[in-house]
Amino acid sequence: MDLLSSKWLVNLLVCCLFVGVGCNSVEKKIYVNLNYTVPCVRLLNATHQIGCQSHLSGNVGVLHVLESEENLDWVLHSGLTPPYLVILESSLFTRSIMMKLKNGSSRVAGVAVVTPNANPSQGTSPHTSCPNENTGVYTENYDPTMARCNVTVWNPLGTGLSYEEFDFPIFAMKEDNDTQVIRQCYMDHNRAGNGSTPQYPLCAMQLYSHMSAVTDTATCMRRNNINFSLSPEMVCDPLSDFNVWASTRPLNNTAKGHKEGESVVLAAARLDSRSFFFDIAPGAESGVSGFVALLAAAHALRNATQEAPPPRNILYAFFHGETFDYIGSSRMVYDMEKNNFAVDLDNIHSVLEVGQVCIFMSCVKKLILRLQSAASGLNVSVEEPGFSQPLPPSSFQRFLRARPIPGVVIEDHRSAFTNSFYESMYDNAEYLNISYPPDLTPDEQLEYVTDTAKALTEVATVVARTLYIQAGGAESRLGSINADPQMVTRILYGFLVRSNNSWFQQLIPSDLVSHLTDRPTNFYVGVAQQPGKPTLLVQYLLANLTGIVVSDTCFNNCVFVLLPQMYSYLWVQGAAPPNSTERVGFCMRSAARLSKALSPAFDLHEYTSKDYSTWTESRWKTIKGRIFLVASHELEVNFWASPAPRRLLGGASFCPPL
Amino acid sequence: MNLERVPNEEKLTLCRKYYLGGYAFLPFLWLVNVVWFFKEAFMKPVYTEQLQIKKYVKRSALGLLLWVTVLTTWITIFQRFRAEWGEVGDYLSFTIPLGIP
Repeated sequence: MDLLSSKWLVNLLVCCLFVGVGCNSVEKKIYVNLNYTVPCVRLLNATHQIGCQSHLSGNVGVLHVLESEENLDWVLHSGLTPPYLVILESSLFTRSIMMKLKNGSSRVAGVAVVTPNANPSQGTSPHTSCPNENTGVYTENYDPTMARCNVTVWNPLGTGLSYEEFDFPIFAMKEDNDTQVIRQCYMDHNRAGNGSTPQYPLCAMQLYSHMSAVTDTATCMRRNNINFSLSPEMVCDPLSDFNVWASTRPLNNTAKGHKEGESVVLAAARLDSRSFFFDIAPGAESGVSGFVALLAAAHALRNATQEAPPPRNILYAFFHGETFDYIGSSRMVYDMEKNNFAVDLDNIHSVLEVGQVCIFMSCVKKLILRLQSAASGLNVSVEEPGFSQPLPPSSFQRFLRARPIPGVVIEDHRSAFTNSFYESMYDNAEYLNISYPPDLTPDEQLEYVTDTAKALTEVATVVARTLYIQAGGAESRLGSINADPQMVTRILYGFLVRSNNSWFQQLIPSDLVSHLTDRPTNFYVGVAQQPGKPTLLVQYLLANLTGIVVSDTCFNNCVFVLLPQMYSYLWVQGAAPPNSTERVGFCMRSAARLSKALSPAFDLHEYTSKDYSTWTESRWKTIKGRIFLVASHELEVNFWASPAPRRLLGGASFCPPL
Repeated sequence: MNLERVPNEEKLTLCRKYYLGGYAFLPFLWLVNVVWFFKEAFMKPVYTEQLQIKKYVKRSALGLLLWVTVLTTWITIFQRFRAEWGEVGDYLSFTIPLGIP
């Protein structure tokens, strides 16, 4: 054989020898990435920035599991290897510990909070003690004695942690396998045993949550809009979503402004909620109880308002963004003032708002008695029997800022909130005592009527009857207005336990099915330009509960659209008939519509406004966390000022890291 | 370029070109002038054109010193106070750092 072909043969033989060789990455042996990380993000308003910030290349700190408040001394003063990354149990996540960590932040690299699977026994709320104190109706100009919670502190358990600024990242972790790995790493390497100081290498964690926006909303909106910078980048977005509204008699939506002869009773409820951490907002008593009661009331009123329509129209409004200085309601009031909405402020006869309502039968009875006495004389502004009490934080306050409209706010507390977890991540189905007998399938759980649902049904019935009377309906029909407990329990299950259930799947079109998850719905208002998941779910629910089926066709969208200015036509995918697997869709005609809920401050470009909400959320690039072993500083060769990690897991490799 | 082989008149023209060029807001030309012609101007034995070359090098050095002072002062002030200037600081910047004031 000649030289060329023999060379080729040798190469082939050599390649065959290498067929069985694998490759390992060094990076995977060093770092253990955290799978479930929930950060706290930075929010800005006209004057402040709140939330957490990390360095661009992540914050690295030696792990320390905090045992008690006294143990903080190790982190803040006596520990020999700062900066530390403190792991807190949820019972230690209190204002005093967090403030001490904030003050010693040169030695604190970050905090990781381990959230338990069950709610704590003590109530705690990270919100302020006086929610929305600057944008309500009580200001220095109007009734200053009631401003700033001088008379009643609404949220006495509020620590205000959600509104503090931290310059280290704070993450939440679930109590699962990852957390066990972290605790084990701490026990193995970092624990000081018998008075001896732990030696390097030590277990460390790195958290990335670098936020782009800084200072306040005016600065970040200005930096959004700078034209001639080399790399224009958006740094923040205003909080916005959509309000959902519907009316019992359809209103012409293209003719905006005042409608002659139209007198409307506004039934309002709040959709959104928040917590200390980003995108966790179950909001069970803070928000869900109220709007579910109103949805059930709307359903209860459907027949009565069709068969014996009362003289006044009833407008159901579900406002989004109320947690952040009344974004949704201030926008609706602004639209009404500027003749940009189907009705005007002069068209509004009175307001009935459903706030945090009861879920326990004992308090329901008291509520019914009180409301019946109030319902008989609803010509005056009934704040409470004995009105030395200011109005609680509610969307109604924004309407009062514009016009002296009479109204009622239905709440389950006399003075301070009875909600122990107001705007907290623990305000969930467990807090409302929504419990199902064991061994039920998800479909059976959906249909099971819980005690909470029964209590809420009573409230919904009372709300519906009050609305009917307020709209001028006949008292004789009141007996037939009843909320349906089956409906209430299904809605509660869908929003608080799992949104991916068979009933919700029937109510929405097929392209929204991916929005349904196996977890409770998140009610944080967010910054999306499109309507968020809860908004769409509430819109389709409202359409189903107050609308009618128009056509049962094989087409995939609504074909017979008559009077689009009066009605909205929504195509839903429906259920599959018993014999087949194909869903039979139908077209739903209702008066349920969306209206933009973006604070007027952003339309007017008044980013330092005191009258409107100016909340924005910062943008960020990566959010992640990882743990590894870190060597002593003397061994570092500081090219990039990041610690040289050592191998966390054993094994050698000859392949370059990925 | 090796100045050993260059005739003196050409050295003078080069030095003058760099000196005059530096007036067009090009202080680096003056820096080059000073560094390149320093030996020629001050350490070589005297020749006819050396006096003029000395003059150009001295003036280039002066101009360079002025530029360095002005730039250092402005850069120090800008880096220190940009965050406090708010709007003006942002409009003067090409790249604004993310996440810090």
